[in-house]
This record gives sequence, C-alpha cells and structure tokens, in this order.
Amino acid sequence: MAAATVATTLAACGGGDSGGGGGGGDSAENEASDIGITEDSIKLGAHYPLTGVAAPGYSEIPTGVQAYFDFVNANGGVNGRQIEFVYRDDAYNPTNTSQVVNQLVLEDEVFAIMSGLGTPTHNAVTDFLNSEGVPDLFVSSGSRLWDDPEEKPYTFGWQPDYEIEGKIIGQYVAENFPDAKVGLFLQGDDFGEDGSAGARQFLEDQIVAEETYVPGNTDVRPQISALQAAGADFILGFNVPSYTALSQLTALQLGYDPQWFYSNVGSDPVLVGSLLARFSEGAISDASLLDGVLTTEYIPGVDNPDNEWTQLWQRVWEESGQEGELSNYRAYGMSQAYTMVQALQSAGQNPTRDDLVAAVEQAGSEWQGPGFAPFRYSEDKHAGYSGMLVSRLLGEGSEELTPVLVTDNGDAEITEAENEPASPPESGIPDEEPIN
Amino acid sequence: MQQFVNLTLGGVIIGAVYAAFALALVLIWRSTRIVNFAQGAMAALTTFIALSLIEGGQSYWVGLAVALVAGLVIGAVVERVVIRPVEGGPELNAVIVTLGLFIAIQALISVLFGVNQRAFVAPFSTIGFRAGDFTLALSPNTLFTLGAVLLVMVGLIALFRFTRVGLAMRASAFGQEVARLLGVRVGRMLTLGWALAAVVGSLAGMLIAAEVTFVAPTFMDSLIVFGFVAAVLGGLDSPIGAVVGGLLLGLALSYVRGYIDDTLVGLAALVILVVVLLVRPGGLFSTTQTRRA
Repeated sequence: MAAATVATTLAACGGGDSGGGGGGGDSAENEASDIGITEDSIKLGAHYPLTGVAAPGYSEIPTGVQAYFDFVNANGGVNGRQIEFVYRDDAYNPTNTSQVVNQLVLEDEVFAIMSGLGTPTHNAVTDFLNSEGVPDLFVSSGSRLWDDPEEKPYTFGWQPDYEIEGKIIGQYVAENFPDAKVGLFLQGDDFGEDGSAGARQFLEDQIVAEETYVPGNTDVRPQISALQAAGADFILGFNVPSYTALSQLTALQLGYDPQWFYSNVGSDPVLVGSLLARFSEGAISDASLLDGVLTTEYIPGVDNPDNEWTQLWQRVWEESGQEGELSNYRAYGMSQAYTMVQALQSAGQNPTRDDLVAAVEQAGSEWQGPGFAPFRYSEDKHAGYSGMLVSRLLGEGSEELTPVLVTDNGDAEITEAENEPASPPESGIPDEEPIN
Repeated sequence: MQQFVNLTLGGVIIGAVYAAFALALVLIWRSTRIVNFAQGAMAALTTFIALSLIEGGQSYWVGLAVALVAGLVIGAVVERVVIRPVEGGPELNAVIVTLGLFIAIQALISVLFGVNQRAFVAPFSTIGFRAGDFTLALSPNTLFTLGAVLLVMVGLIALFRFTRVGLAMRASAFGQEVARLLGVRVGRMLTLGWALAAVVGSLAGMLIAAEVTFVAPTFMDSLIVFGFVAAVLGGLDSPIGAVVGGLLLGLALSYVRGYIDDTLVGLAALVILVVVLLVRPGGLFSTTQTRRA
C-alpha cells in the first residue's frame, strides 16, 4: 500500500511531461480507457512466493520489477502514466494464489496481471483471468501451459519453455558427449516432464536412468543411488536450486562424480553457492562444488558483469535504493518489467485490456530487449523467448559454450539465432511505436 | 547390489530420523495422552536457536546443549500456559490447541529467523565409508544419528519401567484421579512429561536437520506425518515400537523411492499404515488392545 501512495505522489509531480512515452498521439489526451488505468496511472498486479519453501530467490523477483518501474516512473512513466505495481504473497500455494489474484482483480482493480510465478500456482488462476478478460502477461514459469491462444487468449509465457530448453540441451549433449551415459534427475511435475521430453528427442539412446523427486522430500539418497547404480556418468537435472545443492552434497557423500548439467532454473550460482557455502568451509570439501557444471542462459545476469544490460540493471538497482545486491532473480524481474513497458508502449496511448493483448501478439516478436533470442509471440503463439545458449559455470561467473540457439516446440529444427544481441537504449527505457 | 545396500542403509538412517521424532510423540502420549501436533514446530524452533548460535561461531555441541535446554523450558511453559487450561476436557480440545500452537510457533520462527533456507552442517563427516570399490551410504554422522536415537530409546524404556518418576508419569496419564489419591503430584508429572518430550523433540530436530541438510521454518512438516505414522505403527505407546516402526517405514519408503517412484512415497506410507492397523489395530507393539485412557 505504501508503494501505491508513493507512486501517486510522484504522479502529481511528473504528470506534466510525458517524456518517457512512445511516439504517436501527442495531441490526444490521456483517458481512463479501461479498468486499472487513469489519466496519470496504470495499475499492474502480480503474485509471488514471498514466504515458504519457494521464497528463497524467487521473493527477490518483485524487488527487481519494482526497481525498474520506479526507474521508468522517475523518468516520466509510460505515456505520462505512473506504473503502480501491486504484488501479493501466495507462499507457492495454489489455493492462496486464487485468493490473492481475486483480490488483485476485484479489489485492487488492476489493469493486467504480470509475472505471476510458478506452474501449479499460476495454473490455478488462468481460467479466472481469461474469463474476466484480464491480460495475464509474462508468466514466471517455463511450462507450456501458457501457450494456448485458443483456450487462454489472455495468457502469455515469457521465458523459454522447458521443452525447447530440453531440446537445446539434448542436442548439445548428443553432439559433445556422444559416449556419455545420461541419467535424468527430474522434478516430478510439468517442469521435469517437459524437459525430459525435449531432451529425449536427441538422447533417447544415451539415457540409462530417469529419477524424479517430489519437492518437499529432502532425502534424495535413493534417487542418486539409483543413478549411480545405473552407471550414469552424465546427470541432466531439471530441478530447483535447493535440489541442485542437495544432489551435489548427496553425490559427494556417495562418492559419485558424474558430469552435471542443470537446466537454467536450478543453476543460479549465487543462490546455490550461498546454500553450499557453509559446507565448503572445510566440513566437506574445499573445492567450489559447482565449478565445471553446465547450464543454459537466455538473459544476461550478474555472472556477466560486462554486459550492457547487466550494467543497466546495476544502475537501476542502485538508484532504487532497496536493500541487498543485484541478483539474477532481480535481473530477471527487471527484464520482465522491461518487456512489460514495451507492451504498454505498443498498446498505444489509451489502451484497453484487449489492446494490450493485441500489442503483444502483433509487435512482441519484434521487441529488442535483454533476451538473447527473440520472442515467439503471434496470434497463434503465446510462448516467450525462442532460445538460449549453453554455458559452463566458473566460480560465480560463466563462460559461453555455444552461440544462441533458437527453436520451437515439437520437432522444429534447432538453428543459430540470426539476430544480433541488442544494446539497451541510452535512456534505459524502451521506445516502441504504438500498433494502432 | 550397491544400490540395494545403499537403499537399505539410507532407509535405516531416514528411519532412525522418523523414529527420533516418533519417540517424542510417544513420550507425550505416555505421559499426557495427547498427540502433540506442535512437536515439529517446537523442534524447529529449538533447532533454529541452535543454528543461530552455530552460525555465530559456537560449536555444534554448545548449540545442541542450548537446544535441549530450550526444549525443556519451552515444553514446560507450553504445558503450563497453553495445555493446562484444556487438560481434563474432551481430548479433541487439547489436540486442536496443539494444532493452533503448531501454526503459531512456525510463524514465530519466520518472524525471528526469517523464511529463507539455511544450511545445517552435520557435526561429523557425511562422506560415506568406502567398502572395496564403492561408497556406502553410511558415514560417521549417520552412526552418530543412529547411536543417539538408540540411546534415547533405551533411556525412555528405563525411565518408564525402572524409575518411580516414570511410574508416576504413567499413572498420571492413565488415571489422574486415582493417581492423585495415591499421592502423585499429577500437575508436576504432566509438566515433566511435556518438558522431557520437548527435549527429545529438540534432539530429533537437531538430528533431522543434519540429515536433511537445509532447514527452513517448515522443515519438520513432512517429518511430522512420517513420524506420526512411525509412532502409530509401533502402537503409540511403546518406545521400542516407535523405533521399529520408524525403521520399517524408513526402509519401505527408501525402496519405494529407489525402485519405484518418489511420487508414491506419501501413498506408500498411507498403505502401510492402513494395512498395519487392519491387521493389528493397536499397532505392532501394543500390549493390551483394550487399554484406553
């Protein structure tokens, strides 16, 4: 609530100049064109786990989103409107998600929902949002559920989905480790299943074992023992960060030393490192446990400090004056917020909710931003980024092993990305033309 | 073969952890005839107290000692302040109060220590012993866990079977009126029972934290279910039963995870519980089936 008050006060000061907005319609005046949008403000809502098991890491995402919106607001907002960002805690419990999203839509009366985090959590609210006609943009999950324009016309994914990630990883492993006996270590839901399905397109003959875990069961000895027994010398994990740490420690306890490849979600070196730090103080091993682990990347993060986008995020973060340091989770939030500003600009000066959806469908695939690969948005496709690259972790940094690889779901080919990596605009704020 | 050996060893270890927790439940049940659902949260609280000391540079053993003392105090205070007013009323009241307490304590932990996961370093090495070519899922630390659980089991048996205090506690639990007529200070016995149970719970929390590696305020939640199943398997009344129940459950679940699927663990625990209760309604180690409070 405090945030909303601050945003309104800023609006009073900044309402006069509409500098940060997109071009077009300079003569027209701002109107309250739909729910959640006034002459000088626009309200967006989100749900995240701010408490509970999923909170470490993920609870930082909204602070990144907020920091970027503060930055945009301080520079005049979008079309002269200040962005109010209201986010609520669902503790990663779908029942709570339904409740807080109801609140956001019916009580807070947001214009759109963005960045809702988690597959089981967000899946509980897509029907409600679509029946209410609320834009449901840039879900923070790589599930394929968000790409269903027929049934869910208002819902859009953002990050590369787990299936195309599985495909890109699978092809990389098949080409570079043709003799490896691959074991899969999977979270027992869509995340693990989609990733496994993608990887199996290329690795079917190399996979010797597949083990799943249920989040919450913290004893992974049986699974790691089974992978070891099957003779796997290359483990591909589609798991969350705490299970990266658990699987590393368990393997160490069992004297098991395969090559590890963790998908993007599970590989945040800072978070995993902080979990493992106390164990490397001599109690177990002096070596940095994650060195040499393979993973994927699709947006620049704190492990690429020289990247222009990371430098922009660093500046935005410092200006926001929030506690803590820039992390990959905050960079993720800022990247989403950047895409959101692009969407609002493309939707025009006085957009309705349907205008916003049309803007993503029509202009989304052209947006240049921090992502390595372009978005796949169109009227028939609501999936996010089309690709990523493979990298190797070294300390808290990483080195790139492949160019950016792009593909699509099913048996679409994997190719090298044609686009050049984009630089952030001078102002740090996008400037998209409205679609109408 | 290696997988079977390691699944068995892993099952024994995780079973010992379930048993440690079940022992605390059994202790409260024997001394007050209440199933304490707040046990997990209380143990999590003392574990976090110990963890902050350890993170502050103290040794594990200082942390352990403080956790046990804190458990003693918390157990006694909880019984005196929260449970005493509902004691003697319908059994359900006390159970509901412990559920409320569970939520309240967990929230308190979040307020005091934050919600983030934190690493809990075991007191001994967790690197498995080597046998010929392969590494066993058995380490110095798991031996410590097993030893501590067995010691507590023997201690509890001795307490209830061979000491006057233990006899008085059992008497207070079974028939307050009669015990009081015979000169037992029932109120004190109930407090003592809760305090001791909380000490055992605190120890269980410390052992479990070292086995699960990462702890958050909710880290005991899944163990409450399995610890409860272990205690019921053993008859809820018998320390030996709790340990055997815990080990059987740990082994069964380890095989289910290793050979079938991790997603079936909850279901498997339920099936085991139903089957045992159908065959022996009083649990595996019940002595007299009709004995009730």
